Amino acid sequence: MSSDAVSLPNQMLPEILRTPPVLTGQVSSGSLDDQVHSPIERKPPKAWFVAFAITSVFALIGVVCIGYTVAVGIGVWGNNVPVAWGFGIINFVFWIGIGHAGTLISAILLLFRARWGNAISRFAEAMTIFAVMCAGIFPVIHTGRPWLAFWLFPYPNQRGIWPNFRSPLIWDVFAVSTYFSVSLLFWYLGLVPDFASLRDRTKSKIRKFIYSALCVGWRGAASHWRHYERAYLIIAGIATGLVLSVHSVVSFDFAVALVPGWHMTIFPPYFVTGAIFAGFAMVVMAMIVVRTTMGFDNLITMYHLEVMNRIILTCSCLMGYAYLMEGWTAWYSMNQYVHHTFWAYIAGTYWWAGWLTITCNIIIPQLLWVRRFRRSYPMMILVAISVTIGMWFERFVIIVSSLHQDYMPSAWYVYKPTIIDIGILVGSFGIFFTLVLLFARVLPVIATTEMKSSLPGAQPRHAGGAHE
Amino acid sequence: MNGDKTKKILAGAMAAGLAGVVTTGFVAGWQRFWVNWIFWFLFILTIGLGALFIVALEHVVGAKWSVPLRRVPERLSGLVLLMGLAAIVALLALPVIYPWTNPASLSDPVIAGKAGWLNVRFFAIRVLICVGLWFLSYRILVSGSIQQDESKDPKFNVRARRFAPVFMVIFGITITVVAFDWISSLEPAWYSDVFGVYVFAGTFLAGLAATTLAVLYLQARGRLRGVTPDHIYNLGGFLFAFSVFWAYIGFAQYLLMWYANMPEEVFWYKERLQGMWGPLVLALAIFHFFVPFFMLIPRDAKTGHTRLFWVAMLMLVAHGLDLYWMIFPVLGKGPVFSWPELSFGLFFIGAGLLWMRHAMSRSADMPVGDPFLREGLEFRL
Amino acid sequence: MSNRTFSVLGLFDSAQQLMDAIPPVKARVPGRLEAYTPYPIHGIDGALGLRKSPVGGMVFVMGLLGAISTLAFELWTEGIDYPMMTGGKPIFSWQAFVPVMFEVMVLFACFTSGLGMLFLLNRLPFFRHPMLRSKSMPLITRDKFALAVEADGLELDVDACTAALRAAGAHSIEVLEQPAPPGPVSPNFLMRVAAGVGISCLLAGYLTYWGVKVFPIAMPMTHMLDQPRLDPQSADSFFKDGFGMRMPVTGTVARGQLPYTIKNQDDAAVLGNPLPRSASVLKQGRQAFMTYCFVCHGVLGDGTPSLTAAYGAKPANLMSEKFRNYPDGMIYHVIMMGKNAMPSYAAELSEDERWAVVNYVRVLQRAMNAKDSDIPKETSK
Repeated sequence: MSSDAVSLPNQMLPEILRTPPVLTGQVSSGSLDDQVHSPIERKPPKAWFVAFAITSVFALIGVVCIGYTVAVGIGVWGNNVPVAWGFGIINFVFWIGIGHAGTLISAILLLFRARWGNAISRFAEAMTIFAVMCAGIFPVIHTGRPWLAFWLFPYPNQRGIWPNFRSPLIWDVFAVSTYFSVSLLFWYLGLVPDFASLRDRTKSKIRKFIYSALCVGWRGAASHWRHYERAYLIIAGIATGLVLSVHSVVSFDFAVALVPGWHMTIFPPYFVTGAIFAGFAMVVMAMIVVRTTMGFDNLITMYHLEVMNRIILTCSCLMGYAYLMEGWTAWYSMNQYVHHTFWAYIAGTYWWAGWLTITCNIIIPQLLWVRRFRRSYPMMILVAISVTIGMWFERFVIIVSSLHQDYMPSAWYVYKPTIIDIGILVGSFGIFFTLVLLFARVLPVIATTEMKSSLPGAQPRHAGGAHE
Repeated sequence: MNGDKTKKILAGAMAAGLAGVVTTGFVAGWQRFWVNWIFWFLFILTIGLGALFIVALEHVVGAKWSVPLRRVPERLSGLVLLMGLAAIVALLALPVIYPWTNPASLSDPVIAGKAGWLNVRFFAIRVLICVGLWFLSYRILVSGSIQQDESKDPKFNVRARRFAPVFMVIFGITITVVAFDWISSLEPAWYSDVFGVYVFAGTFLAGLAATTLAVLYLQARGRLRGVTPDHIYNLGGFLFAFSVFWAYIGFAQYLLMWYANMPEEVFWYKERLQGMWGPLVLALAIFHFFVPFFMLIPRDAKTGHTRLFWVAMLMLVAHGLDLYWMIFPVLGKGPVFSWPELSFGLFFIGAGLLWMRHAMSRSADMPVGDPFLREGLEFRL
Repeated sequence: MSNRTFSVLGLFDSAQQLMDAIPPVKARVPGRLEAYTPYPIHGIDGALGLRKSPVGGMVFVMGLLGAISTLAFELWTEGIDYPMMTGGKPIFSWQAFVPVMFEVMVLFACFTSGLGMLFLLNRLPFFRHPMLRSKSMPLITRDKFALAVEADGLELDVDACTAALRAAGAHSIEVLEQPAPPGPVSPNFLMRVAAGVGISCLLAGYLTYWGVKVFPIAMPMTHMLDQPRLDPQSADSFFKDGFGMRMPVTGTVARGQLPYTIKNQDDAAVLGNPLPRSASVLKQGRQAFMTYCFVCHGVLGDGTPSLTAAYGAKPANLMSEKFRNYPDGMIYHVIMMGKNAMPSYAAELSEDERWAVVNYVRVLQRAMNAKDSDIPKETSK
């Protein structure tokens, strides 16, 4: 029966079935090294300095606002009973979510042997680490006494007390710190052979020393590669479970509570999907910038952008399902408080945020059903920005709208953020993009070793060809 | 011929089952009858729906490695047609085991509030719409593929690639409706918005397990030539991953309800943990998650035929256990399994197996008209 | 040769050429074969005869260890060491302990995998390896592939190896010498290491101390403690005289301290005793009397205390006729304002207590001057 197999060349297939190439142009191991490593080896262009200056200013605003908060107190934020969680936690959940795309691309795609991920995995993982760093700021500064944050860890102390392991907030501490450490480790391991490359390319003695130390004397021995590949694959597999668990634990912060609108069992998969959604939007924007400014359009091709847009579209539909389920179950539960909360989402004080969320997350990304739009920069950027805004406001709606009118009408209150709240939000974007810009100039933005191993002709024939 | 003998055994088993099925109502009570009908029909339906989802997923993603295997889930999805008929018969169960059909239940304001959704007429309409949509999807995705064997026209791939995302939307809605209508409304006061996702996880896994079993069975009999250990490895990988996903969703739902401890939610779990149900749910966790997880971790396990076969079989049985644990407590007793359940099992499973045998013999074992078949056969990890 | 040959390596241009070269070279020369490649080559492990990596087993064991030890730790801290009941959940609530257990399991597993691979299995860093100083290394990390025959303790025949590699297709050969043996550890080096470790410990210790003890009570952390409020016994610049503590405003009346405006005892006769002579009042009065009054006036109130001899003054005999004729108010006045040598007891006794003392004195007076007619009829027998 297999002899009856028909195979049509790509050109003879109908347009919709043709896949754009994953790589364009002549790419070899050597040319890959030259192309990817050269930005690190020369001075950055003027545009980089301008961008860095702008992001640094925003980052500085954030740092100043954070310092002001720590020095004066949490009262400078808009939080108050009953909206005890405001911008602080919204930003925390938002940034953790952004980080998930990186792990998905590098870990999950690796597991599925989807080699198209190789070109973007390094950048995406770096974004994960920076996003988690930005996220980690918030649980620390939203406490009244951040300098005592070390109390969250279980160390033997003279108070004789331990952290409350049954609380989702402690689960968060462990989940986020594990996520950060494991992502950093995974990212570093991927960088080890690339550092070896850089070590051997560089003429500067200082750089050679640094790269040599960073790659711990990697020499590319086959006996080493066998352990390396196994370890890397295992961490990828475990990181997949970690990704699911981290945002689920974050969702537990809300879902174990009795606040109407928070105690919905769909929160764990809903939050994870939302995280992937927001993360991919950020990755798409970053990839467009990298493609165009660093000249990597032969490595990061329209194929990558199209697949990522299809994933964004899928996530948008899944979010639509989640919103539908939440709304329907809210009605089905026949719980008057839940009814009120959901009514308030779209017709209460913050009705505009509810509709903004639905429009930005569900309606605008539907543009991506059209193939032409999936391959057009303006459309992609529009959808990506829309998703970023939509996902931020979704957390706003979940936190602020649910809290501001819960069981006791006497406690109802309209939350307004202060200028410090907004300053820290703006600052977190500044910190994130500053780190990204630094990364782009100091480390190789594409995982050259991974890419080399999947180029056409890279692997010997009888062990399998190298196609996607 | 061996084939004939198997056919006779299956037909005989089915007939014996039918005899038991027919007598259950009169001897063991109509409650028992209808609970069994619902349970077994859902078991086979979820296998078929899971298989149809696999087919659609392959088209959405444009996966080429799975093309040689695709005919197996295509044929398994035919079970949806059979179970579509069973669903219409199952409408007769409504007044017997679904409390909200009883007018006395309307005295409870919670049930009365939902009466706009939970009433016989709307329920029946929903069932008909679901069954109709499944029939339509089958025609487009499966019948088209079988026709392509002769025509070798890539237009089918185009149509399938365009329709598959639409089917995903249809599937998401219909599996949720199935979960809420047939299973959750057995206890109409209960609600959980992840329930649709939970039933989806079990459904997908059931489809995967059945597909894996069928592929390994056919391979052992010399069919599906060209399918390599690398293909089987991928199937094993999916089984592993989605068994973790099922456990994650199941545990998340339980943890949230346990933690908040709201009486209007937690009663569902309390019923399903008391008495002998407790050990049963522990067995469910062990057989549906722990055993497959630890058995599928080693790389060789995912390609080794014997181990993978038994793990897939275990997962299919565990899926049945999952549905059993969700449905049977409405009988108000501990876990029961005797001749009614066995008869229904023989009847439904016998019907399903006979259907599969017949279906797989009616066309090629692989989608020979698919333009990507050669690439699929050349797939290497 | 004084420096024995470490290895002979041949460079190839592609992975295919490298793989093809392995069998002939392996057959022709003794010595361990190692390959150096810019990225991992599929299938090379088998060709070189490398054993499977034990990373998987290590990860499994450490992951399990992490999970079990964390669960045990959680159960111990929340259940035994400082039992904490949260939200009415049972003390040993395993459900709530699962998330942290899972995360720590992941942490242990991943770090075992990554760090175990680098440091234990690959025994990196090893900066003295001859490859790191070879001419071929930069070529290899870029895009060339090397097959090395390593001496591994044996004496290598360089020419034979070279010939074998060239015959297999290598386009250039490099011979690597053994690295110079490491010199004995010099005392200088040891001192530097000890100094480094010492300094690191001191630094870590100081940072911990600073972070836990000093930093939290430095500015601006102490802003929370420096509240803009009045603290007892502190100076305050808000007031002209600089005192934080102020006297009450003129005209302030403390509770139970209504102003007593009567100046001389005779005018106090108009005061009426608000308290009845009940058992509880008398008990209170007796307690106050035995605390403050009996010292001077004696236990029986007759002015014969033990103090007279030492003190010189003569307290009043409250049992005398003069005092028996006093109205309640005049006795109250003396308690309030004092008389002659007796100071005011207004600060020691509350208003109720003063009137209770008055009642007690009256009852004492009656008891000390009892008449026959006071004896109840029943006991006269």
